[in-house]
Amino acid sequence: MSTETEASCAPPCGAINSLALTYGALLLRLWLAVRAIQTGIEKFAGTTASDQVVKVDGVPNVEGLTSSASLKEYALSHYHGVPAALVDKFKAEPLMKSYTVGGLHLDPLHIYDVVLGPALLLLGITILLGIANRTSLFLLGLLYISLTWGLILIKQDDGVSWLGIHLILIVMALMLAQYNRFALLFKKW
Amino acid sequence: MNPLPSSISRRDFLSKSVAGAGVGLVLGAPNILRAADSGSPDAIHVALIGFGKQGEVLFNCLRNIPGLHFQAVCDISDYNRKKGVNQVASIQKSPPKGYSDIDDMLAAEKGLDAVVVATPDFWHSPHTVKCLEAGLNVYCEKMMSNTIDGARAMVKAMEKSGKLCQIGHQRRSNPRYRFVLDELINNKKICGQIVNINGQWNRSLGASQDIGGAKIAKSIIVPNDVLNRYGFKDMHQFMNWRLYRDLSGGPISDLGAHQIDIFNWFLGAVPKSLFASGGSDYFKQREHFDNVMCIFDYDTPQGGVRAFYQVLTTTSAGGGFWESFMGTQATIKISEIASSSSINREDGAPQWDELVAKGYLKRKPAPPKPPPSADTVRSYESAPPEGFDLPGGFNKPAHQPHLENFFAAVRGKTKLNCDARHAFLSEAPIYYVNPSALSKQPIVFTPEQLSV
Repeated sequence: MSTETEASCAPPCGAINSLALTYGALLLRLWLAVRAIQTGIEKFAGTTASDQVVKVDGVPNVEGLTSSASLKEYALSHYHGVPAALVDKFKAEPLMKSYTVGGLHLDPLHIYDVVLGPALLLLGITILLGIANRTSLFLLGLLYISLTWGLILIKQDDGVSWLGIHLILIVMALMLAQYNRFALLFKKW
Repeated sequence: MNPLPSSISRRDFLSKSVAGAGVGLVLGAPNILRAADSGSPDAIHVALIGFGKQGEVLFNCLRNIPGLHFQAVCDISDYNRKKGVNQVASIQKSPPKGYSDIDDMLAAEKGLDAVVVATPDFWHSPHTVKCLEAGLNVYCEKMMSNTIDGARAMVKAMEKSGKLCQIGHQRRSNPRYRFVLDELINNKKICGQIVNINGQWNRSLGASQDIGGAKIAKSIIVPNDVLNRYGFKDMHQFMNWRLYRDLSGGPISDLGAHQIDIFNWFLGAVPKSLFASGGSDYFKQREHFDNVMCIFDYDTPQGGVRAFYQVLTTTSAGGGFWESFMGTQATIKISEIASSSSINREDGAPQWDELVAKGYLKRKPAPPKPPPSADTVRSYESAPPEGFDLPGGFNKPAHQPHLENFFAAVRGKTKLNCDARHAFLSEAPIYYVNPSALSKQPIVFTPEQLSV
């Protein structure tokens, strides 16, 4: 059975729709990739203060007054998966408590803190390059669901809504996956 | 330690220090933060005497100063001593030796250059005098002593030994205070004639409670025989010596001395008289007054100045601690906390546009104009003064510049900012505040009362 649109759409029109859907798939893929990669990179951002001697009447003051400038920089040592402002809130949650299984001590918050940044970077890159595009999108969706769960725990409803929009975009990207023309590896995945 | 050339100017020293810090930031801070090795030819060999709360505050500054080798830690408390030894060991290759008695330390340790004394006030003078007589340079926390005679002995020992003795009035090396005095008050004279001074240290009840509580952890308990040998009746006295008359001067010397020192330093004068009032209004069992207010009268070349100071340990009202110099043309309110500071030009005083253009001051955004109100009597009101800020601050722990000044002086690079004689001139009137409050009588100072 053909729909009215398909029936009324001659070959040039169908070709245009297909191209539009391909562009749509590409744009959505790029958006989700950039969102994930830059968020991952920001996990390595920190600030350093630099002090400069203040000049008075054109010369450095002798009393030692300085002015501080705060500079943003990226370094492995700045890495923080979970923002510091949220860590204490999560620590107070009973469902986030560490536990021991078979002699193995597990701290979910610490594990999540370590994994989150690299996971965002990895999935962002695979989506950008078109490596197992559908599976990468699915895994990114799962990652956003895990973030959603955390934000529900600490009652950050705005963040939950925000992540919900991300998830809708991922679902749309999956629906458009068949029009994805630029993929490197594991195209069927 | 090899003495370095003393011909370096203050400006050279500053610019080289800043350049060094910049290189350190690029190449990695740990290289400049690590303490010197014991064998380093330029190292200053230091002993830390007293490693309680204040000793730790000072060490956290000292560890940022390059070229220091911490050779020994001395404290009668096992807990404090071990804490000090461990903290030093974390920043230098050779751990320091720990001592419980200063005489044992001075007898055993060879090659020391300087000591940093952060013991309770009543031990300052004996410890400082001992170390000066042993040929060591001394940095000693303020108040110089719990008695004026103890302070006098420190000045005499410094001058007899020819060694350096810096007293820990750290604001004297604070770049913000120095800039205000040198550039704004003395050079540009922005205050006009300073006529009144106001200062306070108001501390909340929560921050004024006894330390230790009912149950003291076993690990920090010092045996009674040790406590008694060193002048403490029990652990409560050891942990709360600031509350006892035989061991300290109480809040007026513990907190007030810092700020009354600034009154005297900025005016370049000592007061001619004092009247004080105090009371045990809330902490009724304490030996010292919990609230003290006092007024000092000065004669200065510009005219008379009245300075009011209050130390209250039952409220933090009025914004904590600050000193306010009120002149005919401007008021400078300054505090160790930069955000509590402000500079206001009086309506009608000369404009400061040129000072702002040259970088002496920064203009603060004008506050919003209050809406007209029926209860204001406009003809009686002064126009709100314009607000200004200092052109910069400094990004170090509060005590660090003063310690840097001390060790630069030990190296022969500069003069002390607050040697024992200058500190005595400034501290001497403070010893009379409690007697005036107790007797409810004003005191007109005689030269003998304020001299060594």
